[in-house]
Amino acid sequence: MRKSRILAIGAVGIAAAIALTACSSGGSGSGGSGKGSGSGPALATDGKGKTLTVWSMNGDLPDNVLTAVNDEFTKQTGAQVKVQTQQWDGIVTKVTTALSSNSVPDLIDVGNTQITGYAATGGLLDITSVKSELAQGQTWLGGLVDPATVDGKLYGVPVLAGARTVIYNKKVWAAAGVTTEPTTYAELTADLDKIKAQHASDPNFASFYLPGQYWYDGLQWVWDAGGKIVSGKEGAWKGELSSSESLQGLNDFKAFQNAYSTKASQTLNTDKPDQDQLMADGKTAAIQGNGWETGVILGDNKKLTDADLGTFAFPGKSGSTQPVDLGGSDWAIPAKSKNQGLALTWAKIAASPDIQKLVAAAGIIPISTEAVDAASSSLTPLQTGSFTAAKNSTATPSAVNWATVESDKTMETLFSSIASGSKSVEDAASAADSAIESTLNK
Amino acid sequence: MTSPTAAKAAGKSASRRPGHVPAILLTPAGLVIVALTLVPIGYLFFASFTDYDKRTLFTGAYDFVGLQQYADVLSSADFWLSLARTVLFTAAMVGGSVIVGMGVSQLLLRLSTVVKYLVTIVLIVAWAMPNVATSKVWVWLFQPGYGVIPWLITKLHVFGDVTQTDFTNNFWGALVIIWMLVVWQAVPFIALTLYAAQTQIDQSMIEAARIDGASEWRVYVNITLPFLRPTLGLMTILSIIWDFNVINQIILVAGVQVLKPIATLGVWSYLTAFQSSDVGTGAAIAVVTMILLLGITAVYIRNLLRSGEDF
Amino acid sequence: MTTDVAATNAVPLPREEQASVAVTRVKRNRRRIRWGANIVAIVFAIVWIFPVYWMLNTAFKPRDEVMSATPRFWPGHIDVGNFVSALAQPAFLQDLRNSLLCVFGTLIIAILLGMFASAALTRFRYRGRKVILVVILAVQMLPSTALLIPQFLVFNRIGLTGTYIGLILAYVASVLPFSIWVMRGFFLAIPVELEEAAAIDGAGPWRILFSVLFPLVTPGIIASSIFAFIAAWNDYLTAYVFMSDSSMYTLPLWLQSFTTPNGGTDYGAQMAASVVFSLPVVVFFLIIQRNLVSGMSAGAVKG
Repeated sequence: MRKSRILAIGAVGIAAAIALTACSSGGSGSGGSGKGSGSGPALATDGKGKTLTVWSMNGDLPDNVLTAVNDEFTKQTGAQVKVQTQQWDGIVTKVTTALSSNSVPDLIDVGNTQITGYAATGGLLDITSVKSELAQGQTWLGGLVDPATVDGKLYGVPVLAGARTVIYNKKVWAAAGVTTEPTTYAELTADLDKIKAQHASDPNFASFYLPGQYWYDGLQWVWDAGGKIVSGKEGAWKGELSSSESLQGLNDFKAFQNAYSTKASQTLNTDKPDQDQLMADGKTAAIQGNGWETGVILGDNKKLTDADLGTFAFPGKSGSTQPVDLGGSDWAIPAKSKNQGLALTWAKIAASPDIQKLVAAAGIIPISTEAVDAASSSLTPLQTGSFTAAKNSTATPSAVNWATVESDKTMETLFSSIASGSKSVEDAASAADSAIESTLNK
Repeated sequence: MTSPTAAKAAGKSASRRPGHVPAILLTPAGLVIVALTLVPIGYLFFASFTDYDKRTLFTGAYDFVGLQQYADVLSSADFWLSLARTVLFTAAMVGGSVIVGMGVSQLLLRLSTVVKYLVTIVLIVAWAMPNVATSKVWVWLFQPGYGVIPWLITKLHVFGDVTQTDFTNNFWGALVIIWMLVVWQAVPFIALTLYAAQTQIDQSMIEAARIDGASEWRVYVNITLPFLRPTLGLMTILSIIWDFNVINQIILVAGVQVLKPIATLGVWSYLTAFQSSDVGTGAAIAVVTMILLLGITAVYIRNLLRSGEDF
Repeated sequence: MTTDVAATNAVPLPREEQASVAVTRVKRNRRRIRWGANIVAIVFAIVWIFPVYWMLNTAFKPRDEVMSATPRFWPGHIDVGNFVSALAQPAFLQDLRNSLLCVFGTLIIAILLGMFASAALTRFRYRGRKVILVVILAVQMLPSTALLIPQFLVFNRIGLTGTYIGLILAYVASVLPFSIWVMRGFFLAIPVELEEAAAIDGAGPWRILFSVLFPLVTPGIIASSIFAFIAAWNDYLTAYVFMSDSSMYTLPLWLQSFTTPNGGTDYGAQMAASVVFSLPVVVFFLIIQRNLVSGMSAGAVKG
C-alpha cells in the first residue's frame, strides 16, 4: 500500500486520517495514535456540553426504546443526543460519504449485511478491547456479531434482530375453511389451494403474496433445500447458486411463487406496491414479513384488529421451519467520530438487558440469547411467528463486498427473473453466480 | 444573432485603454472557476488513475493503477452499451422535445387570446416544476396498483390489465416514462423561445405567400423554417447538452432493477463512484464522458464562431 | 388593405381581383384553422397539465382515497391532512431554512461575480479574452457527474462537505458560467454611446460601470437569477452526497423522506410536499413570465 505524497503534505485532518489507518492496519495496540499508550478505545462518561449524533434506521428501534436509551445516557454522562432517522433507500451512499467526511455522526445503525464492508476498509472503530464490557455478560446472536467481526476484530454492537414470519389474515383463511395453522409444507400448500380456489374469480388476489424480487424470502427456499449463496473465503469466493441443492430450492421458490402469488408480483418487490398495504386492503391472504409489519397492517386498515391477524414460521419442505435470514443491525462507531468514548457508552446502554426487555416488548427480537429466552414466555400471538422463525436462522455471506452485491440488486434480479420466467432457473443462477463472484472477489 | 449595435459596442470599446479594470473584475469569478471547477477536474483525472475506493475515502490510502481502469472500462461491453443508450436516448429526448416544441410554437401563433394565455400558463407551470418533484409525481402516476396512468391504459382495453405492472421497473417502461418526463419539461422552453422568434418574422411576407396560394406547410418550410434556423440550431445543441446530462430524473424514477440496465454514462459513473464506492472507475467513466461531451461543445463553439458571433 | 385598393380602383385588374378572392379564402381558411388550432391547443393543455393536476388532486385527498385501486379524478372532499402531516414534520421548516440559505447565498455570489466578469468580457478589449470566453463555455458544458465526483473528493478533503458554504460554493461553480454567459448578451446590447457620453462627462471606468452599465443590465440580472435560483433550489444529488447531517438537509432531500417502514411511500404526504416545494418556483415563473422568455432568449440565444 503506497501512500501518496500529496496526502502526506496535506492538512492536519489528513494526517489524523493516516494515523488512523496506521492504527487499524497495524493491529490494535501497535499503532500508537495520538491518544496514548496504544490501548484500544475506552468508554467515556463525561459528556457535559457535548452532543452525540446517532443515526437510526427507519423502522429499526421504536421511539420509546431510543428515548429510554437517550434518557439513561444523559443521566450518566450529561451529554445530549441527536437522533437522526435515515432511510434505507440509498443508505450505502449515505453512510459511505458520511464515514469519509468530517461531519461524521458518532454512532451509526448499520445493517448486518453491510457492516463488513465498512469495517474491512477502515471506516469503523475497532472495539474488540471493550467487547466484554459492552456485552454485559450476555451472549450476542451470531447472525449479528459475525458480520461485524473482521479478522477477529469487532466493529459493531448489535442493535436488534429480525426474522421473517408468515403473517396471515385469519378471517380470509377461515372463510376458506382453514382454521388451524399449517405445520408442514404440504399442509401449507393444501390450505393455500383452498383459499386460491375460493378466490379463483379475482386475478388480482394472491393467496400468498410473494413478490419476485423479495430475495430474502426466496433465499429461504434455497437454504431449506440445503443450498447456499457462496462458499470459500475472502479473495476466493465461489458462487453456489448453481449447485444442485440451490437449484432445487430456486425451483421450489418458483413453483410456490407462481402458484400462489399474482402474475404482476413476479417482477415486484415488497415496497411498490407496499405489501402491508395489500394485506390491509384484503388483496392477499398472507405475506411473509417482519414481525413489526403486523403493526403497519393494522395501522393501514383501522377495521382490522389484533385478533384478525396471525403469525407462524414458514414450514419448510425439509420438515423443519425454513431457515430465515437473520436480519438485524449493529451500532458502529465511525473511525472519524470525535465522541467515540461517549458513543461506546451509548451503545452499552442500548445493549443492556433492561433496554433489551423494552425491545422484546415491542415485538422485536432482542440481541442476545438470554434476552430472547427471557422474552419467549410473554409473547403475544402476533410475536410468536418471528421468534420461532429466528430459532432456525442463517445470514448472507460476511464478505467485504457483499454490500455491493446488494446495491447492485443482483439478488433481486435473480429471483424476479426466475419468478417471471424471463430466464430459466439454471441461467439465472449461473448469471447470479458469476456476478457475485466478480463483485466479491474484486 | 448579434445585433449591429452590440458589435459596434464591442468594437468601439476596443479603442479605450482598459487598464487594470477588467483584471480586477475578472479575478473573483476566475478564482471561483479555477478553484471550484478546474482544480476538481484535474483531481478527477488524477483519481481516474488510482484505485480510489471506500478505503481511500475512509483512510486516504490508495494505489496508482495507471490506465488500468480506462482499459477495463473501454473493453467492457457495459460501456459501449451505455454509450449507445446514452446517444440514442439523448437523440430521442432532443428529437421529441424539439419537434413537439416546434409544433406548439406554431400552434401558439394560431390561437385566440384566451386559449393562447391558457397554453402559455400551462407551459410555464410545466417548465417551472422542479424536476425532483416531477420525478416523484411521475413515479406516483405509474404506481402499480394505485397509479392513474396504468388504470387509464387498462381502460383502453388494448393492452389488457396493466394496473399491476411496475412500469418503472421494466426496461422499456422506465425509458419511456423518463423520456416523457424530460420531454414534458423541455418543451416549454423550446416552444416559448421559438414562438418569440417567430413573432419577429415579417408577417407581410407570409401574407404575400398565402395570397400567392402557398399552403401553410409551404409557408412554414420556405419562410418560417429558414428564419428559425439559427434559433432552432441553438435549441438543439443546448438540448443535446442538457439531455446528455439528465441524471436526477433517471435516478429518481427508474426502479432498482432497471437502474443499471438503463443507466446513461452520467448515471453509470455516479452509481459506480457513489453507490459501489468504486470512485476510481467512476472517475474514469466520467473522464471519458466529459471528453465526448467536450467534442459536442467544440462543434457548438465552432458554430458560434462561424456564425459571426463577436467574441 | 388590398381589398380597399381593389374596391377603389375604377377598373379592377384581373390580378387584383384574384388577390381579393385569395384574401377572403385565406381569411376563411384561417378562421377554420383557428378553430381547429384552439381545440388542439386545449387538448394539449389538458394533457400537459395533467401531471400537475394529479399532484394537486392526490395532495388534497384523504389517505383511503389516495390508496384506491380505482383512481378518483376529484377528491371526495378536500382534505388537508396530507399537508398537515407533511408540514408538521419538524424537518420542514428547518429544511426550508437550509434551502433558502443555500439558494440565496448562491444567488448573491453568482450574480455579483457573474456581473463583474461579464462586464469585463464585454466592455473591454484585451488579449486572452476569447480564450477566457471559450473556457467558460466549455466549463458550462461539463457533465454534472464529472464535476460532482471530484468536487466531493476535494471539498471533503478540505472539510467543506457537510457545510452550507461548501454546498453554496458547489452551486456557485455550477451556475456561474451560465450566469456570465446570460448577462453577456445584455451587456453587449448596451450602446457604446452611453458609455462615451458618461466618459465625456468625466466619469471613470468604475463610475461608468456602476452608474451606467450595471443598472442597464437589470433584466440580465433577473434572467440569470432565475437560472441560479432553479439550479440551486432543485439540486438533489449534490446535497445528497455532500450533506450527511440530516438537520442540514435541503427541501429536495426532504421530498424523499415520505417513506413507510416497509420502504413504501406515503404518496399523499409526498404529493402535498411536492406542491409546497414547487409552488414558490411556479409562482415566481408566472410573475416574471415576460422577462423569462425575453431573458432566456436574449441570454441563451445570443449565447
